[in-house]
Amino acid sequence: MREELRIYLTLVIASIRARMEYKASFLFLFFALLVYYLAQVGVIVIVLTKFGSIAGWTLGEMAFLYGLMVFSQGVTTVMFGSLNEFEGQIISGDFDRLLVRPLSPLLQILSSGFEISTVAHLFIGTTALYFGSKSSGVEWTLLKGLYLPVVIGGAVLIQGGLRLGVAAVCFWTIRNRSLVHMLVYSSKEMIFYPISIYHWGMQLLLTIAFPLAFINYYPSHYFLSREGADLLFHPFIQYLTPMVGAAVFALAYLLWRLGISRYQSAGN
Amino acid sequence: MIENVGAIKNGVMARSKGAEEKLFDALERFPALSLYIKFAFKAFQRQLAYKFEYFVGVVNGLIFIFIFTSLWKNIFSNSQATESVGFTTSGIVSYAVFAMIIRISMSQDDLGVMGKIRTGAIAMDMIKPFNFFGVTLAENVGGTMFHWFTRAAPILAVCLIFFDVSLPRHPVNYLLLAVTWILGYLIYFMVNWLFAMLAFWVIETFSFQLMKYGMFTLFSGGIIPLDFFPDFIRPAVAYIPFMYILYVPTASFIGHISPAEALGFIAFQGVWVATLGLASVVVWRAAQKKLIIQGG
Repeated sequence: MREELRIYLTLVIASIRARMEYKASFLFLFFALLVYYLAQVGVIVIVLTKFGSIAGWTLGEMAFLYGLMVFSQGVTTVMFGSLNEFEGQIISGDFDRLLVRPLSPLLQILSSGFEISTVAHLFIGTTALYFGSKSSGVEWTLLKGLYLPVVIGGAVLIQGGLRLGVAAVCFWTIRNRSLVHMLVYSSKEMIFYPISIYHWGMQLLLTIAFPLAFINYYPSHYFLSREGADLLFHPFIQYLTPMVGAAVFALAYLLWRLGISRYQSAGN
Repeated sequence: MIENVGAIKNGVMARSKGAEEKLFDALERFPALSLYIKFAFKAFQRQLAYKFEYFVGVVNGLIFIFIFTSLWKNIFSNSQATESVGFTTSGIVSYAVFAMIIRISMSQDDLGVMGKIRTGAIAMDMIKPFNFFGVTLAENVGGTMFHWFTRAAPILAVCLIFFDVSLPRHPVNYLLLAVTWILGYLIYFMVNWLFAMLAFWVIETFSFQLMKYGMFTLFSGGIIPLDFFPDFIRPAVAYIPFMYILYVPTASFIGHISPAEALGFIAFQGVWVATLGLASVVVWRAAQKKLIIQGG
């Protein structure tokens, strides 16, 4: 296991160095990503300057909500980014090559995916979390400080598990591009906003069937010391992110194992 | 069962092919235009090939409509400041729905031209006896017609049933929509064209695409109507082309702006079409001189 971890880290560093090869282009892309995300944030800021708050969430609280999502997404792309391109490896037959190497195929795929967008995510996420907790007056206790990485870990497991599950669908269908688009990218837009703005049916869906709300909405209640009057469930739900993360990831991993065991190459 | 579906599909294909040929025969009488209409038709057919993509496109559109109608309903039911913003609750909900439908109706294949430039395949288009700008526009119009029938229309139907919106009654609104949509679409197409032309000069065009997409999201009116921008930004937004793409058609159609105001906006749209059209031609000429194909 320790040997596997060492190989995994070596491969991650190699992929980071490959992306850093062209520095000017790297910086320009970073800048473009900032503009892109600023536009996204701009939508929320304009709404808030015009109307004051969204479902009782002020600018600082919305920033914290957004920061938690973007930061955990940044960590997710470091570890699970390449899974979104998994379809390509199945179609080309490249995946077969990984099966004969003496390292778990999953670890080999996971180690190849460093993206520049990751840096932008971490940067924007940190800024939003910092500004958000300052502006909404979060009192950082030792417990909150210790719990933040745990929550981010849980959020990463939710998003990583989602990507793993969607990638595993390829073992049956070969293609999954549209599914990636819908379940990984578009669905995320739902949690830019506090989910209490949605119909209760949708809140239920985002909590139980497709638990994106645990990435940022529920844990934010704890950090921002919100009363929880807008919660559909018992306030205890704000502590459940790590458990939900573990469950989602375990389910996705089971699906992945099941897929691999019945995988037949598309041939090449 | 599966064979049945195949047979039915083949039957439909055969019939539509007959109709297509008849149309092309009729078009032979107008040689100058017929070429471009054929390209539009082919692009329409190509779109038919991707069924699952299509389904996801529709669901994506509905997700966005759901998010923003929920957002506005929540804000407008809680906020005291809503009387001064010029929208009623049902007004802003129909804005969100129709802005998204109009956005979905506009087909966006801006990577096509860019890819052709990068791979050098554009050389083949340049030696053919037609205007590449015209052909690209025709292909995009074909894709757009497809989007109107297969994405915008079903999404509209779902929204009319579930989202508590209604279509305007007055024919003037539809006339204004037709004019502002066509002008807005031309602006949209030419902005994309100009960004695609960047590929002649720089290799890393993805960054420019990202910035364009960001500005489009924020300033086109697809999500936030111009009215909600802070006073110090609003005049600046009126001087970039994006708001003429979605805000003007949507606001005219739902009657948020009066027909007289809409006419003023149409004049501005006309100015933008002329300006961007001129820029497109100039840049295309310069690009042809600049072009060096790297091998073949």
